[in-house]
Amino acid sequence: MRVTQGAFSFLPDLTDRQVSAQIEYCLRQGWAVSVEFTDDPHPRNTYWEMWGMPMFDLRDAAGVMAEVRACREANSQAYVRLSAFDSTRGWETVRLSFLVQRPSDEPGFRLERLEAQGRTVRYAVRPYAVDRPAGRRYGPASAARGEAR
Amino acid sequence: MSVLSEPAAAFAAPSEVVDLKALEAETDMSAPMAELDRDLVGLKPVKQRIREIAAFLLVARARERAGLANGAPTLHMAFTGNPGTGKTTVALRMAGILHRLGYVRKGHLVSVTRDDLVGQYIGHTAPKTKEVLKRAMGGVLFIDEAYYLHRPENEKDYGQEAIEILLQVMENQRADLVVILAGYRERMQAFFAANPGFRSRIAHHIDFPDYDNDELLAIANALLAASDYRLSAGAREAMTDYIARRRRQPGFANGRSIRNALDRARLRQAMRLCAGTAVASRDALQTIEAEDIRASRVFTMLTN
Amino acid sequence: MADSTSLTKVRDIKQRYQPGVLKYAQMGYWDGDYEPKDSDILALFRVTPQEGVDPIEAAAAVAGESSTATWTVVWTDRLTACEAYRGKAYRVEPVPNQPGQYFCFVAYDLDLFEEGSIANLAASIIGNVFSFKPLKACRLEDMRLPVAYVKTFRGPPTGIVVERERLDKFGRPLLGATVKPKLGLSGKNYGRVVYEALKGGLDFTKDDENINSQPFMHWRDRFLYGMEAVNRASADSGEVKGHYLNITAGTMEEMYKRAEFARELGSVIIMVDLVIGWTAIQSIANWARDNDMIVHMHRAGHGTYTRQKNHGVSFRVIAKWLRLAGVDHLHAGTAVGKLEGDPLTVQGYYNVCRETKNAIDLPRGLFFDQDWAGIRKVMPVASGGIHAGQMHQLIDLFGDDVVLQFGGGTIGHPMGIRAGATANRVALEAMVLARNEGRDIRSEGPEILRDAANWCQPLRAALDTWGDVTFEYASTDTSDFVPTAVAV
Repeated sequence: MRVTQGAFSFLPDLTDRQVSAQIEYCLRQGWAVSVEFTDDPHPRNTYWEMWGMPMFDLRDAAGVMAEVRACREANSQAYVRLSAFDSTRGWETVRLSFLVQRPSDEPGFRLERLEAQGRTVRYAVRPYAVDRPAGRRYGPASAARGEAR
Repeated sequence: MSVLSEPAAAFAAPSEVVDLKALEAETDMSAPMAELDRDLVGLKPVKQRIREIAAFLLVARARERAGLANGAPTLHMAFTGNPGTGKTTVALRMAGILHRLGYVRKGHLVSVTRDDLVGQYIGHTAPKTKEVLKRAMGGVLFIDEAYYLHRPENEKDYGQEAIEILLQVMENQRADLVVILAGYRERMQAFFAANPGFRSRIAHHIDFPDYDNDELLAIANALLAASDYRLSAGAREAMTDYIARRRRQPGFANGRSIRNALDRARLRQAMRLCAGTAVASRDALQTIEAEDIRASRVFTMLTN
Repeated sequence: MADSTSLTKVRDIKQRYQPGVLKYAQMGYWDGDYEPKDSDILALFRVTPQEGVDPIEAAAAVAGESSTATWTVVWTDRLTACEAYRGKAYRVEPVPNQPGQYFCFVAYDLDLFEEGSIANLAASIIGNVFSFKPLKACRLEDMRLPVAYVKTFRGPPTGIVVERERLDKFGRPLLGATVKPKLGLSGKNYGRVVYEALKGGLDFTKDDENINSQPFMHWRDRFLYGMEAVNRASADSGEVKGHYLNITAGTMEEMYKRAEFARELGSVIIMVDLVIGWTAIQSIANWARDNDMIVHMHRAGHGTYTRQKNHGVSFRVIAKWLRLAGVDHLHAGTAVGKLEGDPLTVQGYYNVCRETKNAIDLPRGLFFDQDWAGIRKVMPVASGGIHAGQMHQLIDLFGDDVVLQFGGGTIGHPMGIRAGATANRVALEAMVLARNEGRDIRSEGPEILRDAANWCQPLRAALDTWGDVTFEYASTDTSDFVPTAVAV
């Protein structure tokens, strides 16, 4: 399966050039861009690991791209996303977020149902990958990088 | 324009003949060069060097168009000279020139010193230096008094870590930013001797001579004109006198000393006007008189 | 008795309170010199007086009947601070290019209104005057709600920012679809449509306004099958998904019961229709705040009073009231779809929903500055006769913070519902990507869609089927203005 979180997951994986253009867009809006990664893609896993702090006051995408590459290198089998933060009054939140890496193999999620009274069902969504401990969830650590970029 | 289109699309098609004048017009180089001439008094050798560099880069573009061998040129520079000789201002213009020629994408200048790059404890320096480099991407990183990065007396100085990161980026990300190292001539020479890595990565050395007395007077006039002041005939004479004395005294910093002197002269002018008659003419409001200059301590200090 | 032809306020106390009939203007409901206070509620009416009725007297009558007046003089006025309580018409101007119509500006003192009650506001401002005989027609065009009044409301329970954070979806419009056919599907079949659409790539599906609990599908069935579909689709995609469960019912008690069942099943969103009324809307907003639920508002019925330009209430006023009352989603028009809406006027509604402060914007029908005082933003919903081929127009008109609902455009897809949803999602993402890259989507949109259709078969089929469908009719509700002529 393919996790379709983020703004562009229904498109073919973005090339570095396309990622760069999106970063340029964010910088033009005055947003701070940050890199995050995780090996737990549960839809409600809000807090991915931060790859450093959000990058404020940048003028060019090259600096962010260097961090993206470094994060991919260090976490070759993780989901990596870029988020752009807007500090304008009334927003003060993420304004754009999209994946820039996914593991080579995505086993997806199990849907667990617990039947309760009155035909009610309680649902739980569980990533198959989290059955293994953090850090060993997607492929062997020594595996080659998921996708050529 | 799409950000995905080539920044220098005009140069894309290889050709047998390249019209350099047209290329110059396309890149609109005349504007920053004219600005340089207009905004900066004197500095003839500096301006000449910049024209050379600009011409070299233009020809590099033309060679690219003609399909001739052309690695990404190294553009890092060293600006040497005494304080107040216009290094920062020229760096700012240089960023604009490099931007117009398509050698840097954004054309901004990030100006730093050792304190912005080097941390206070282990693990502090690398993030600091990287942060500065990220902000400078797409533009020019100007490191003033770069030799402070290197402290030969202290082997464990964190400056060395910043130097190593800088060297790496200067080598590997030449398309992303241009670094200009600046400082006193002799100290920069010693710095380069101790860090040959820098010397080999610097393509252009520009030496900024001290201004002569006439140039400093011209700077004074330009600074005043820019804020609607002017020197009276007497003040002009006083200023000439001031310049000759000031440069023989300690702490002389070329253009910067002139700027400071004028700031003080304006304060004295204001005091003089307030102490005088109740009404001040438009003319009086913009005129610096000889006494506003001659009240300076420069005239009472002993000079050797 | 005062001179019956005069339209100036009677200042002599004896004359003013002599039993009998005075003109409203004479009673003090017209004051051309009045300077509105920052704390006043301001209203702009478009008034069409009967033949022979002076526009100033008509304006005074509107101000009077929507505040303290009755048809005759009453001495009991003198037991009150009646000067303060009188609504004051302070400006009357002919409507540009609409003979016989006048813009009448009325100011009301804040103390005329109960805090935190749209029902009270509506009963005052539109309670009586619209049936008033001296007027042929009357329309409430716009209102300025002072910060002091806005602060007595709690506004949207969730708002755009928190909704996006809960859904973890940023930087693109959200996608939805209304399950079709509107009526007749069993609960099990209904859930199938929900599952296919969400799995195909939509963020939301939606009950229609009149899907409640009919013989062919009782509400509990719909909720149970709907949530099975939502959870399946969520597990298949790794995304948070939702289905707007319409809890509209005959009584508040029944609505609470349905809302609680939706919560119990883990739904992120419920839905109500505008026809449930202002009090019910404020109550359900309270419930939603207590239960972290997004409230989707379907503006069912609004066309009966918002559509005609000369009589009724403009939708921009309804949108302002709903933002105060507390809804998170609001159907606000498409401009390009099958339902009424001139593009600029519709953008005006969107601005009312989304901006922190509205500036006067006459082309978009905003006659007043409006400070929303930190109240949350409402997510506008574009729904009705839109399809993937219009993606560039929709994003150009409305930006990212909107739910685009392609009901027919999803479910009517020749390759099936899932393919219909995918076509919409791919078109959306391709368009946002291109816009961010700096391309001019207004002119390059069709090309961008065709490029994506080259690798996305469902999008190609959608463009082939609906590419040429447009709804080009003249709008009945456009803004009447002459630049700079009408501004407070």
